[in-house]
Amino acid sequence: MTIASSTQFLCFAALSAAVAIGALGVVLLPNIVYSAFLLGGVFLSVAGLYLLLNASFVAAAQVLVYVGAVNVLILFAIMLVNKKEAMAEIPGLALRRVLSGAVCAGLFVLLLRVAFITPWATPGPEPIGDEATIRIGEHLFSDYLLPFELASVLLLMAMIGAIVLARRDVLSADIVTGEPADQGLIEKSRTPLLLETPAPASPAMPTPVLEKR
Amino acid sequence: MSLELPTTVPLQAYLALAAILFCTGVWGLINSRNAVRVLMSIELMLNAVNINLMAFSSYLDGQLIRGQVFAIFVITVAAAEAAVGLAILLSLYRNRETVDMERFNLLRW
Amino acid sequence: MTLAAAADPSTAVTAITSLQLNAGAIAPEAAVLIAMVACLLVDLAGEKAASRWVPPLCYGGLGGALVLLALQWNASPLEPAFLGSFLADNLAVAFRAVVAASTLLSLLISWRYVEQSGTPVGEYAAILLAATLGAMFLCGSTDLVSIFVSLETLSVASYLLSGYMKRDARSSEAALKYLLVGSAAAAVFLYGASLLYGLTGGATSLEAVGLALQTSTTPVAALALVFVLATVAFKIAAVPFHQWTPDVYEGSPTPVVAFLSVGSKAAGFALALRILVGCFEGFETQWKLLFTVLAILSMVLGNVVALAQTSMKRMLAYSSIGQAGFVMIGLVCGTEDGYAAMVLYMAAYLFMNLGAFACIILFSLRTGSDRISDYAGLYQKDPLITLGLSLCLLSLGGIPPMLGFFGKIYLFFAGWADHQYLLVVVGLVTSVVSIYYYISVIKMMVVKEPQEASDVVKAYPTPSWNIAGLQPLRTALITCVVVTAVGGILSNPLFNWASSAVAGTPMLQRVLASSAALPIG
Repeated sequence: MTIASSTQFLCFAALSAAVAIGALGVVLLPNIVYSAFLLGGVFLSVAGLYLLLNASFVAAAQVLVYVGAVNVLILFAIMLVNKKEAMAEIPGLALRRVLSGAVCAGLFVLLLRVAFITPWATPGPEPIGDEATIRIGEHLFSDYLLPFELASVLLLMAMIGAIVLARRDVLSADIVTGEPADQGLIEKSRTPLLLETPAPASPAMPTPVLEKR
Repeated sequence: MSLELPTTVPLQAYLALAAILFCTGVWGLINSRNAVRVLMSIELMLNAVNINLMAFSSYLDGQLIRGQVFAIFVITVAAAEAAVGLAILLSLYRNRETVDMERFNLLRW
Repeated sequence: MTLAAAADPSTAVTAITSLQLNAGAIAPEAAVLIAMVACLLVDLAGEKAASRWVPPLCYGGLGGALVLLALQWNASPLEPAFLGSFLADNLAVAFRAVVAASTLLSLLISWRYVEQSGTPVGEYAAILLAATLGAMFLCGSTDLVSIFVSLETLSVASYLLSGYMKRDARSSEAALKYLLVGSAAAAVFLYGASLLYGLTGGATSLEAVGLALQTSTTPVAALALVFVLATVAFKIAAVPFHQWTPDVYEGSPTPVVAFLSVGSKAAGFALALRILVGCFEGFETQWKLLFTVLAILSMVLGNVVALAQTSMKRMLAYSSIGQAGFVMIGLVCGTEDGYAAMVLYMAAYLFMNLGAFACIILFSLRTGSDRISDYAGLYQKDPLITLGLSLCLLSLGGIPPMLGFFGKIYLFFAGWADHQYLLVVVGLVTSVVSIYYYISVIKMMVVKEPQEASDVVKAYPTPSWNIAGLQPLRTALITCVVVTAVGGILSNPLFNWASSAVAGTPMLQRVLASSAALPIG
């Protein structure tokens, strides 16, 4: 993959501008749907940067996983929870934003300073370029075998857990005694304190929404 | 061919970009009122980390590219985290009918 | 999932050992993994079958893990497993044992709670076992990538578990807060890890990181230190990284809180030892100073705010912040006694804290309440809970002759010997404060006259143990209380165990030797 150096520089500039502006859009735009699409743009631009860095496999993984899965998941979430909500005004919100902006700017300056004054061991060995995919495979089955296997447990557990939490339920009874259960904490909220219904019969709450005050 | 790469775009440029992305993510994390947007900010931070790893991998570790492997693990975990996050968000939305962070106050902060 | 079978040494042990992976080092984790998969398979047969078969499977897996861990004790020669990703030294074995035991005890006290709330048992056990797996790998990981993946396995499983009571807004809210704060902490850790990767010039093993840090005093190392330390402090819930703790502890299912307060914390301390002590030697003064501040803040804030709590779970949450502060004294000392005291105190904390949780779970199962004022006059209705909770709380407060007293005195002794006078004095004063609020709970239970008893206690059901799931709870409760009460008197084997945990850890010995050589040379 030969790219003339000036072209490469232009590509880097364009992609990083897209990343930076897109990221600002993600956090600043009032409409969350635009934010989600901009997030997809950021992910794609980052994949482009990986291509510039000679990492075609990771770029493909970035597109497939981030754009294809995470971003779509986020769009679905927005669709599912998208109720027009009048967010109540909070006093001092602007001040909070400015203050946290200052803190983040400070953090940015710090990170930038560290990036520039550290004597990184450049230039390193020559990049292996297109053989990267083979090398990644070798790593995954040699020195990174343990995290690779553990990641499979993580994914399995995340999948099961996400299904359990997100599905609507078939089972909501105490499996041993057969009494109805509400899938809530056994420690009930303070206000409706359960005096008349002695345990272990866990009383079924009429509504799952328990307001403390 | 790929030798030209370090001479054109310095490593520091990538690090600076990652710093921008990370700080934007942190700002969004603190200030977003929509829980979905908070999740998006976390994804931004993870992408910043990945840019760092990929840049180091290409400039300092061109032969062994451990950074690329690390980045793949980060992508994997981020996907799992996003799925779990959205499942939790969904179950919370069923209970509370809101995604406004300021109204998640059943438990005092 | 492609090679999940290959991680299981019983099936593929020959193929793996020929690559010199030393896969035997993760045999205890393999036992847990098999139990987890078995739970999921049994769960396919329906809820009835699950509630019958999942508990014995979990006991088998975790018991097997504990036995295998005992076999790994003082293993020689000590060789890194998985080409440097994992090391089963005595420190790792000790902390993994604490994690596995905490899961075993939390599961024993979980069954009734989970069934009574009507949530699926099989998945609950599987997710808790996955969390255990993550925590156990975290204790022994010696590579940034392994640390990250195991940390995330633990964290993601914990988020799922805290949101497990999904029809309860408090539980979902706790899970969301935990997830957002936890993921942010993970991202910060990763940023630090990526800087460390750059600093070493392309290596991820902790050994290489330690070497690179010895020769560099650049700000990048300090920045990475701060990032990594923030994550460690988040995991062990040290002030000011504690904000999530009270909310998550109050909103999560109580047995999960029991696991988080012991198992997750133990893994956090193992990570702290491995990264801070093992890698950041050159920055010893800096991180010790930071940890001194964290320890003092944790002890003061945790114990003082606990005074004002009205919910038992929330009080134990703040008290656990304070307890983490005490353990940090051992970390700051950096002497052989300090590390041994940490291990000892974690082991003691396991029994006394889980004993207290067993009691409050039993109480809430019977009454549906966790308000401290509802415990008034309990001793007439339920002497077992009263006695167990009193003993465990006294032990947490550090009253002789309980187990907690010896743990705490060892920590303070190690701190005093290392001239950490400020820490020890703050520790002593806040211990007195903690005794005050622990005693006030006991007073609430014991001293009240029958007519002063709370309405909940007046309507208290006659204690019966014949519902399935209550017997394991009683077993766990009695075990914890007996160990807490008698362990203090017979604590000598525990002392020896903790000392040999430190003696059998090459990483700690190297650091101790180099710090001993410094003042002379």
